[in-house]
Amino acid sequence: MRRTSGSGLPNDFEDQLRPLWLNAQAGDEAAYRQALALMADRLRGYFARRLTGLSHDVEDLVQETLLALHLQRGTYDAKVPVTAWVHGIARHKLVDLWRRRGRSERLFESFDELPDALHPTVHGEAEVRHDLGLLLDTLPPAQRQAIVDTRLEGLTVSDAARRAGLSESAVKVHVHRGLKRLARLIRGQP
Amino acid sequence: MRTEQLIDLLARHAGPAPRHVVERRLGAAAGLGAVASAVGTVLLLGLNSGLADMGTALAAKLAYITALLLSAAWLADRTARPGAPWRRALWPVATVVLVMALLALTVWLQATDAQRPSLLLGHSWTACPWRVATLSLPALAATLWALRGLAPTRPRTAGFAAGLLAGCGGALGYALHCPELSPLFVLVWYTAGILMPAGLGALLGPWLLRW
Repeated sequence: MRRTSGSGLPNDFEDQLRPLWLNAQAGDEAAYRQALALMADRLRGYFARRLTGLSHDVEDLVQETLLALHLQRGTYDAKVPVTAWVHGIARHKLVDLWRRRGRSERLFESFDELPDALHPTVHGEAEVRHDLGLLLDTLPPAQRQAIVDTRLEGLTVSDAARRAGLSESAVKVHVHRGLKRLARLIRGQP
Repeated sequence: MRTEQLIDLLARHAGPAPRHVVERRLGAAAGLGAVASAVGTVLLLGLNSGLADMGTALAAKLAYITALLLSAAWLADRTARPGAPWRRALWPVATVVLVMALLALTVWLQATDAQRPSLLLGHSWTACPWRVATLSLPALAATLWALRGLAPTRPRTAGFAAGLLAGCGGALGYALHCPELSPLFVLVWYTAGILMPAGLGALLGPWLLRW
């Protein structure tokens, strides 16, 4: 089967990706890295064509999709083209974004709803670490812990996972979600 | 976080992909659902003491439900995997129903006019579909939960498949109580009972199968 189900991805991409992906599935970290990088490039193009003028969303969606690919790699069936699998997940994430956007324009009225403590001017004189602590306190505990462990205390993901009693994948998800949330807070869009 | 950093985060010590995730989740859900239905049947309705004397009729009933369960599991498996062709997984489902229909037709044709109404209606046609559907509800919760942790990109179809699988689990449990012997009865009323959770699954899929 060499169908690419309308994703516009040529077959030589499948030929390039497939061996890397199969090795990655078997546990080859370097192949996994390469495969994800190839996918990220393709996804960027795929989303950019469909989200013109929303360049910030494109990279968000690329990351969201990479995360989903990672979490769902157990659902890959070797009889299916890798590109078809990736495209299925990418389209799902795109539709999901459209649905969320359609439902909540309130995503854009933002700054006034933040607690005062988070307005940058209020704590202008406070130390950076204090501000960071305030920001981190707004995160769900699991995300905060994952970020503090891996980004501030410099633990490896596997150490952080052991400390929190979570799987490594879960810690990776918490770090990603938490950083994304922080970035949104800092940009002033909750 | 830049995308390169995310890739690094994801790939570092990622290890091999988990194997047979779809099979394990769906299998556990269907198994739990069938056990819940069997326990519910025995506790609420009572075990049918005549099961041992039902012979080939019971065998045909169980074979039908089991075959339908396996084909529903295959359909659910396909809908849980992005990019996997799922339409052709409808064929085994249709084939199982068709084979049962042929068996029911054969028995119908051999029966006298006086026997025929009871072949279709038995003693319990008003209760059977509702009982099957009700006993399937724990299974439906389990199969929807199982699919939610996978990657269904067509939530309505996936919900339908989850409901079909759950319905078969529920029917398997209800067979411990059911006194009916006619293949036509099983074809019509069991299938009706199984289709109720399937329809409910199709309704709930778009709401519950988000990931």
